[in-house]
Amino acid sequence: MKDSLVLLSRILAHPDSRCWFLAWNPAGTLLASCGGDRSVRIWGREGDSWNCKSVLCEGHQRTVRKVAWSPCGNYLASASFDATTCIWKKNEDDFECVTTLEGHENEVKSVAWAPSGNLLATCSRDKSVWVWEVDEEDEYECVSVLNSHTQDVKHVVWHPSQELLASASYDDTVKLYREEEDDWVCCATLEGHESTVWSLAFDPSGQRLASCSDDRTVRVWRQYLPGNEQGVACSGSEASWKCVCTLSGFHSRTIYDIAWCQLTGALATACGDDAIRVFEEDPGSDPQQPTFSLTAHVSQAHSQDVNCVAWNPKERGLLASCSDDGELAFWKYQPSEGI
Amino acid sequence: MAGEQDMFDAVVMADERFHGEGYREGYEEGSSLGMIEGRQHGTLHGAKVGSEIGCYRGFALAWRGLLHGCATERDSKKMKVLEALIGMIQKFPYDDPTYDRLHEDLDRIRGKFKQFCSLLNVQPDFKISTEGSGLSF
Repeated sequence: MKDSLVLLSRILAHPDSRCWFLAWNPAGTLLASCGGDRSVRIWGREGDSWNCKSVLCEGHQRTVRKVAWSPCGNYLASASFDATTCIWKKNEDDFECVTTLEGHENEVKSVAWAPSGNLLATCSRDKSVWVWEVDEEDEYECVSVLNSHTQDVKHVVWHPSQELLASASYDDTVKLYREEEDDWVCCATLEGHESTVWSLAFDPSGQRLASCSDDRTVRVWRQYLPGNEQGVACSGSEASWKCVCTLSGFHSRTIYDIAWCQLTGALATACGDDAIRVFEEDPGSDPQQPTFSLTAHVSQAHSQDVNCVAWNPKERGLLASCSDDGELAFWKYQPSEGI
Repeated sequence: MAGEQDMFDAVVMADERFHGEGYREGYEEGSSLGMIEGRQHGTLHGAKVGSEIGCYRGFALAWRGLLHGCATERDSKKMKVLEALIGMIQKFPYDDPTYDRLHEDLDRIRGKFKQFCSLLNVQPDFKISTEGSGLSF
C-alpha cells in the first residue's frame, strides 16, 4: 500500500496563501487552481513538468474558493468570497472575464456546470443555492433561488447525466434538486452525517453519491427508484436515496474533499490531517451494501490541511491535490494487483 | 401523644411543604408571564413577516404596472416570474400561524423575489431598523 500513491511533483501554486481548489479541464490537459491570493492560475504540462500558462488576477476582490470548467472546456467559472462568480472565456492561452454573476448576499462557496453546459449552479454562506441558465449568446439568467438549507452551503455538484443537482451544507445534510414545472424544487434530503458536509462526488454511473464530512466519515448513498426490487420505500414518483456504506475510523480530522474517479471508480479523500487516502470498492461486494477498502494512504501529503483532490478525467491514476500551504501536488496512483 | 406527633409532623414537613407551595405558585406565575411574553413575541414576529411580504407585494405590483405591455421575450420571462411571485403571495395564509408549511412557503417567496430582482438587475437593498427607515429582513 505504501507504493500505491507516488508523488510526481510539487509546485508552490499560490505563494504565501492557501490553495483552495483544483479543476481539470474536460480534456485533462489543463489544471485550474484558485486561492486566497484572489487569483486563478492555469497549469499546463510541458514534458514532465507543469507550468503556469495564465494567471487570472483581476476578477475578484477576495479569496477565490472554487473553480469549474464548462463541459465544452471553453469556459471557466470562479466562485469567490467577494459574493460574485466570474465566467471566463478561453481564447488560446488567454482568459477574458465575460460576465460576473451577482446576487448572493455573501461568500460564494461553490460553482458547478451541468453536463448539458446550459445550466450553472452556485451556493453561498447566505444558505441559498442559485441555478442559472446560459443561452447561445452567453447571457446568464437566474432560473431559481433555492432556500432549502438552514445553514451555509459548502458545495454543489451536478449528476453526470441527469439534470439533478446536489448540495452539501453546514446544516449536516445533503439536498437534491430537480426541475419541476418551470421551477426547481428540493426533491430529497439526505440525513446521517453528524456534522458539516464539506463535499460531494457522484460515481461514474450517477447511481451513487459519496459525501464527506467534518464528522470524519465518508458516506455512500444509493438511489432507489419507485418500484425497486429491494423494496426501499419511495414517496410517490420520487426516487429515494439511502446510505449504503459509511467509512469511519480512517480519517483523524475533517474530510474536506472527495473525488470519485470517472475512469477507475477509485475514491480519493482530502483530509485536515494533511493526508490523502484512496479507497476502492471490494470486487464482488453486494451493491446494496458495498464495502470499500483503503488502498493508499499518504500521511504527510502536504504540510497543512489538504483542501482538494482531483482525478484527471483522461489519464488513469493521475491525481492532483492542493493545500493550505499553497502547494499543488501531482500523484500517480497504481493499486497493486490482487486488491 | 397523637397531638404532639402531628405538631412535630408539621414542623418536620414544613420545609417540603413550603417547597411544594412555592413551586406551584412560581409555576403558575411563570406560566402566565410566559403566555404574555409569548404573545408579545408572536405579535412582533408576525408583524415582521407581514411587513416583509407586504413589501414584496408592493414591489411586485408596482413592477407589474411598469412591465405591462412590454413585448420582448426577455420581458415575458420576467412577467412569468413576477406572476408566479404575486400568485405565491396571494396564496399565503396570513390568518393561520399554525399552517404546517409556513416556513417553506415563506422561503419560496423569498427565493422567487430574489430571482425576480436578479432578472431586473435590481439589488434588493432595503434596510428597516427600529427607527423605521429602510427595510432589512
